[in-house]
Amino acid sequence: MSMVDGPKPFSTAKSEQKTANMESAGVPPGSSGAVPRPNRKFGSWSDRWREMPRQKQWLILIPVVILAFLLPVINPPLISTEPGNDWPLACQAMAIFALVAVGLNIVIGYAGLLDLGYIAFFAVGSYTAAMLTSPDSAFIKIPYLWTIPVAIAVSMFVGVLLGLPTLRLRGDYLAIVTLGFGEIVRILATLIPAMKGQPGFQNVGHPPGIGADGIPIFANSNGTPWYWLTLVILIIVLFLVGNLERSRVGRAWIAIREDEDAAETMGVPTFKYKVWAFALGAGVGGLAGSLMGGQVGFVNNQKFDVVTSILFVAAVVLGGSGNKVGAILGGALVAYIPLRFTAIAEYKFLIFGLALVVIMIYRSQGLLPARQRLLAYGTAAYAAVRRRGSANPSAAGGSGTGGGAHTSSSTPAHRAEGEQA
Amino acid sequence: MTLLELENVSVHYGRIQAIHDMSFTVDEGEIVSLIGANGAGKTTTMKTISGLLNPTHGTIKFMGEDITKMKAHIRVVQGISQAPEGRGIFPAMTVLENLDMGTFGRKDRSKVGEDLERVFTLFPRLKEREKQFGGTMSGGEQQMLAIGRALMSHPKLLLLDEPSMGLAPQFIRQIFKIITEINSQGTTVLLVEQNANQALARAHRGFVLETGEITHSGTGKELLANPAIKEAYLGVG
Repeated sequence: MSMVDGPKPFSTAKSEQKTANMESAGVPPGSSGAVPRPNRKFGSWSDRWREMPRQKQWLILIPVVILAFLLPVINPPLISTEPGNDWPLACQAMAIFALVAVGLNIVIGYAGLLDLGYIAFFAVGSYTAAMLTSPDSAFIKIPYLWTIPVAIAVSMFVGVLLGLPTLRLRGDYLAIVTLGFGEIVRILATLIPAMKGQPGFQNVGHPPGIGADGIPIFANSNGTPWYWLTLVILIIVLFLVGNLERSRVGRAWIAIREDEDAAETMGVPTFKYKVWAFALGAGVGGLAGSLMGGQVGFVNNQKFDVVTSILFVAAVVLGGSGNKVGAILGGALVAYIPLRFTAIAEYKFLIFGLALVVIMIYRSQGLLPARQRLLAYGTAAYAAVRRRGSANPSAAGGSGTGGGAHTSSSTPAHRAEGEQA
Repeated sequence: MTLLELENVSVHYGRIQAIHDMSFTVDEGEIVSLIGANGAGKTTTMKTISGLLNPTHGTIKFMGEDITKMKAHIRVVQGISQAPEGRGIFPAMTVLENLDMGTFGRKDRSKVGEDLERVFTLFPRLKEREKQFGGTMSGGEQQMLAIGRALMSHPKLLLLDEPSMGLAPQFIRQIFKIITEINSQGTTVLLVEQNANQALARAHRGFVLETGEITHSGTGKELLANPAIKEAYLGVG
């Protein structure tokens, strides 16, 4: 492997040895086993998942989804947050946080843009839902379910509006500007009379439907239907995000995250894709905000502080920046811990701080590390490889067969390699 | 035919001027080397040509067309491809995914296969490692990948920023052989180098850059024979 000297990022003695072993073993084509990466328990889980055939994935996925839907009904002992907090409502809070983390993961995890003011989009979504449904608002009223697409649209618009000037900045500068933006929305809510500051909006709308006992199905205190609604939306969002991740857009984002200048010189319109990441992330944030507003039934300026925004970032980093399943896990955990351990809830930032430090030491990539393989199949080079593979089966390239297939080539590089070997 | 033409180009970083009224041309089919010491403005020149930096004065023409204001990602489509300094590969992508990124701006997707074959023939090592992550490869392999990736956009003009940086002497010779090979296949090459000896020996023409200005120009052989250059850049004298 060390044909020449030079920097070798990421490779440890252990991983190199692993690569060497893999090479000598002759890894079969099509397997991604030759790839060295930090080999720890959860990491290898996610790798194993990626290598599973589709049917097997479904076989695991369906029970997991069913279990997720049954979660508020089962109310498992030990795990349950009761008696301190209502369990279905806790489930709803976890689902909302998971949704937020999935949205923020687009911005931080995929495109690598550190957005510390994500709460702003959450707030925009909440206020959109509140101002279009609450009797306290002077605006026109529309049915609650319609506010969800409106909230997505408005927050995406705000995302583009914020992105156009700020996404010319990089790294730390972007973080500071977004941090400021996170505060601006809250302050605007205080200053603008139509947004009603601290009194806020009461009786925010909810989806229609009245139960047998005359109480609305989607009552504020009834967590289960809200949780189911949020879960359905979360699954739809996951499906869309997963497709984006595997598309050309996803690859552009990863390239920008890895090296923005290099991405630009590859022909990626980096600015456009950064604005897209920002807008889509904002849309998901707004969506989560509108769900939160409807469920709580009350929106005012006290809920959208920067501290919560940092908590969102912590959820993404904790779960594994760049991994959407990790984001769900991180988001749910960040919501769950203070609800479960009410006695220590006031120390939650201390606990998260410690947890982050510990995780960064032992699992620097988060609980579930980012997808290392981009599943870029179907793209041009892969298509070319497949064509080559079908035309000449012996060259159908795994890392184990590559060398032998080129016996006829006599380029300078090849000859020199022979000399060095 | 003139492929690239810089006319009185100046570049500033804030108030500091990095490039002073630089003018030169690159003809089709040539290898042109820009040599110079640290801070001479080599990388700045490259970034200005690839579009990552904007000149404060002057014009850049590519195939007779003014591209001074053109964004970097569009210049790639036009046929200017850069292998950046410090390699700039995507560490969390596999070799194949890195190469695939090189085709991002291409419209003629059906021809990608030919270029992939070409890259794999030039660098068999990349083919062997096509599933390995870019970040886990050695410095020399990363350099191969950076050049290979730049070739995947099928450029008319290939910009190489210090291809020999951080490489062992033996591998430097190899890289330059490959550059000559790429050129003989019809790709014009503009490279900047501190390793003046190899860079000038392989080049049709060369320029010497000092503090943002071209101080010498000529064919590679002329510059190699020039006593002043020998003393300053070749360690002979």
